[in-house]
Amino acid sequence: MVKMLVPYPENCTGCRFCEMACSIAHEGNVSHVNARLQVHRRNVKLDFPSVCTHCVSCGEDCCVLHCPVEAIKKKDGIVYVDQEECTACGTCVDVCPFDVMRLEDKAFNCDLCGGDPTCVKFCPMKAIVYEEPKPEKYEEINRLLSQEERT
Amino acid sequence: MKGYTGKILKVDLTTGKSSVRTFDEEYVRKYLGGQGFAVELVYHGVPKGTDAFDPKNVLAMAGGAFDGFPVGTGGKVAWAAKSPATGTLAESIMGGSIGPELKHAGYDALEIVGKAEGPSYIFIEDDKAEINDAGDLWGQDTRVVPETLKKRHGWDVKVACIGVAGEKLSKIASIDCDDRQAGRAGLGAVMGSKNLKAIVIRGTRDLTVHEPKKLLNLALQYQKIYEAAGSWVEDTKYGTGEFLGWVNKDRGVFPTRNWQESVFNERDKIDPYYWATRYVTKNKACFACTKPCGKLFEVKEGKFKGVAIDGIEYETLYSLGGACGNPDVESVARANELCDLLGMDTISAGVTVGFAMELFQRGIVTEKETGVNLAWADAPDAVPKMIELMGNRKGFGDVLADGVKVAAIRIGKGAERYAIHTKGMEPPAYDVRGMKGHGLAYMTSTRGACHLRAGFYAPELVGKFWKWEGIDRFSAVGKGPMVATMENFMCVYDSVGLCKFSRGFYLIAKLPEVIEAITGLKFTEDELLKIGERIHNMKGNFNAREGVLRKDWLLPQRILEDPIPEGVSKGHKISVEEMNTMLDDYMKARGWTSDGVPTPEKLNELGID
Repeated sequence: MVKMLVPYPENCTGCRFCEMACSIAHEGNVSHVNARLQVHRRNVKLDFPSVCTHCVSCGEDCCVLHCPVEAIKKKDGIVYVDQEECTACGTCVDVCPFDVMRLEDKAFNCDLCGGDPTCVKFCPMKAIVYEEPKPEKYEEINRLLSQEERT
Repeated sequence: MKGYTGKILKVDLTTGKSSVRTFDEEYVRKYLGGQGFAVELVYHGVPKGTDAFDPKNVLAMAGGAFDGFPVGTGGKVAWAAKSPATGTLAESIMGGSIGPELKHAGYDALEIVGKAEGPSYIFIEDDKAEINDAGDLWGQDTRVVPETLKKRHGWDVKVACIGVAGEKLSKIASIDCDDRQAGRAGLGAVMGSKNLKAIVIRGTRDLTVHEPKKLLNLALQYQKIYEAAGSWVEDTKYGTGEFLGWVNKDRGVFPTRNWQESVFNERDKIDPYYWATRYVTKNKACFACTKPCGKLFEVKEGKFKGVAIDGIEYETLYSLGGACGNPDVESVARANELCDLLGMDTISAGVTVGFAMELFQRGIVTEKETGVNLAWADAPDAVPKMIELMGNRKGFGDVLADGVKVAAIRIGKGAERYAIHTKGMEPPAYDVRGMKGHGLAYMTSTRGACHLRAGFYAPELVGKFWKWEGIDRFSAVGKGPMVATMENFMCVYDSVGLCKFSRGFYLIAKLPEVIEAITGLKFTEDELLKIGERIHNMKGNFNAREGVLRKDWLLPQRILEDPIPEGVSKGHKISVEEMNTMLDDYMKARGWTSDGVPTPEKLNELGID
C-alpha cells in the first residue's frame, strides 16, 4: 500500500498553516488559491483539511477519468498531471471532490513533496498524517464532504 | 519591499466610491502594520470633536505585518475608530481570517468613512469593491449573516459582521469574524452607525516573501519552542481559563460579584479543569495559530442544550461567571453564545449585568423595573435573560445596553458608586487592588480599563517578565516607566499581528529576523519599540485633543476605598496617593504633561504631526 495524506478533521483547528507552508514550499510565496490542499471552515463545528487523497478512497479518480486529453495519469497509486499533454482546460479542477486540483498555466496537484509532505510537518495538531490509508477513514471523509453544502 | 501589498483601500459609504492609496517603506518604518496602520488612519482621518456616531468617524481595519504568513500565532487583525464608549481612539484586536484575506485581495488596510443610506455591506473581491444592499441581513445574528453571504458569494469569502446590538448602537457592541470578536470599546456600534452590516472579502492574489526558506525554518523553530513550554500543553487542553483556579486561590484577584469580593468560592464548575473534559469537543484556532486556545464548547443536554461556541475564554468566565456570581458553566456558555450572536463584548456585557445585580442587592433597582429577578442566587437564569434583553435593547436591557457608565447615569440613585470602569470601559478579570501596576495600566490604557494595552497582569502575577525580576504586585513604586514600556511593547505586538499569548516566547528581540525574512526590511529592537511608542503617543495625543485628560483616567471609587475583603490579597487597595504617584511617574516616563498631554517636544521627537 502506498502512503497518502490522511486528514483527521477532529484534530483540525482551522489555522490554515498547512496551506501557507504548502504554497511557500512550492511557489516561494503565499497563495491559498494555489496551495495543494485547502482548509474548509463551514461553521463553528467544522474545520476540515481537504487534502489530495490521490483518490484511493473511492477509486474513481475523477480527474483521471474526466481529463479530455488523458493528461492525468496514475502511477503507483499517485495521480500526476503530464505537463506536456495538459491543455489547461480546467475540467479536472471542476470535478475534483476535494477542491485540491489546481490550475495556473497547467493543471497541478499534490506531489507529496517527494515523500516528506510539508503540510504534515507544519501541522501542529496532527490533523494531516502521512500514512497508509484505512478504508473506513475514507468513508468518513466522503461522508463529511457529501454533508457539506457546496457552491 | 516584500510582504506588504503597499496599498490602502478607502471606501466612502456616503458617496459609494472607493479609492486606493499607496504607501512606501517610510510609512512601514513609522507604523509597521496592523494596529499601527489602523491608528494612523483614525488619527489623521477623524476631525477634532467628531462624535463617534458621526459619518466622519473612521473605521479602520488592518492585518498585522505577519498576517497571511506562516508565523505561529501571527494572524491578528486590528480594528480602530473613535470609540462611542470612551470618546477615545480605541482599537480592538481580533483573530479573524479577514486580515489575511484583505492582503490577498491586495490591501494592507481598509479605511471606511461616511454612512450608507440604508443597511449595506461592502464586498471586496481583489480589485472590485462594491457596496451592496443588506436589507435582508439587518436584524440577523452573527452566524446567519456569514452563512447567507457565503452562500451568495462562495464559501471561500471571509465575513466580518455585526449583530443586532451593533445595529442598535449599543456602546458595548462587537464585530464578529469566524466566531472570534473584536469586542472592546464598542466598535460594532461604529459599524452600525454607518449602516454597515458586514464586510465580505475574497482575495486570490499571492503574497510575496523575501526569504521563503528562512521563513519556513523560523516557523518550525518557533513551533518547537512553543511545544517545549508547559503552557502549550495547558493552553491547548484547557484554553485561556487554565489559570482561573490559580488566580483565585494563589493570587486572590478574581473580581467577584461586581468586585465586592476577589475570590469566587463557587468557581469549581466554571474552572476549565472541570469543564474541558466534559464539554469540549474540539480545539479551535485563529488564523495561523499553532497554539490553539480556542475550544468548541458544546452543551448536549439539559436546559441549555444546543449551545455551541468557540470559548469559554478566561475573561468571559469572569464577566458572565464570577462577576455575576454565576457558578453554572452551561449558563455562562449560553450567555457567551448570546453575546456572540447579538454582537456584544462579553467583558463589558457581563460586568454590566453584575453591576445591575449589585444594584438589585442594594435595592437601588427592583424586579419591578428590571423585569428579571437579579438576585445573585438566580444568576444562572438571570444572566442569559439579561444579556438577551440588552442585545435587543428591550425592557431594562435598554438601560444597560451601553455599559455601566451610561447605565449609572440613567439609573441615578447613587448607582455610580458601583459602576466599575475607567474612561467608560468595563474592566477585565484582574482585581487591580492586588496588582497595582496593572491598576495604573487600567488608567493609562487609551481605550479604558484594559488588560492588554500593557499586559501588565503577567509581570505582576508571575513576578517576572522580559527584563524584570522580583516584581512586587502590591507595590506602587517604579510601575510608571514599566507600564509605559510594556504599552510600547504591546503596540509593536499588535502591529506585527502576533497574539499576546505568545509574547513570552517571541519577545521583541526575536521579531527583527521574522520581519526581515518576510519583508527584507531590517529593524533593531529599539527601532521597533520606538514605533510602539509612536503609536501610543498618537493615541494619547488624539485623546488629549478630544479632551480626555488625567482627571478622566482615574480608578473607580471601589478600588480606592474598599479593600479586598478576603483571600491572599486581603486588605489591599490602591490609595489615592499611590494612584497619583504612579500616574506622575508614568507621565514623566512618557514625557507628557502631568495632565496626560504629549508635549510638542515628544511629538516632534517621534515625528507625529
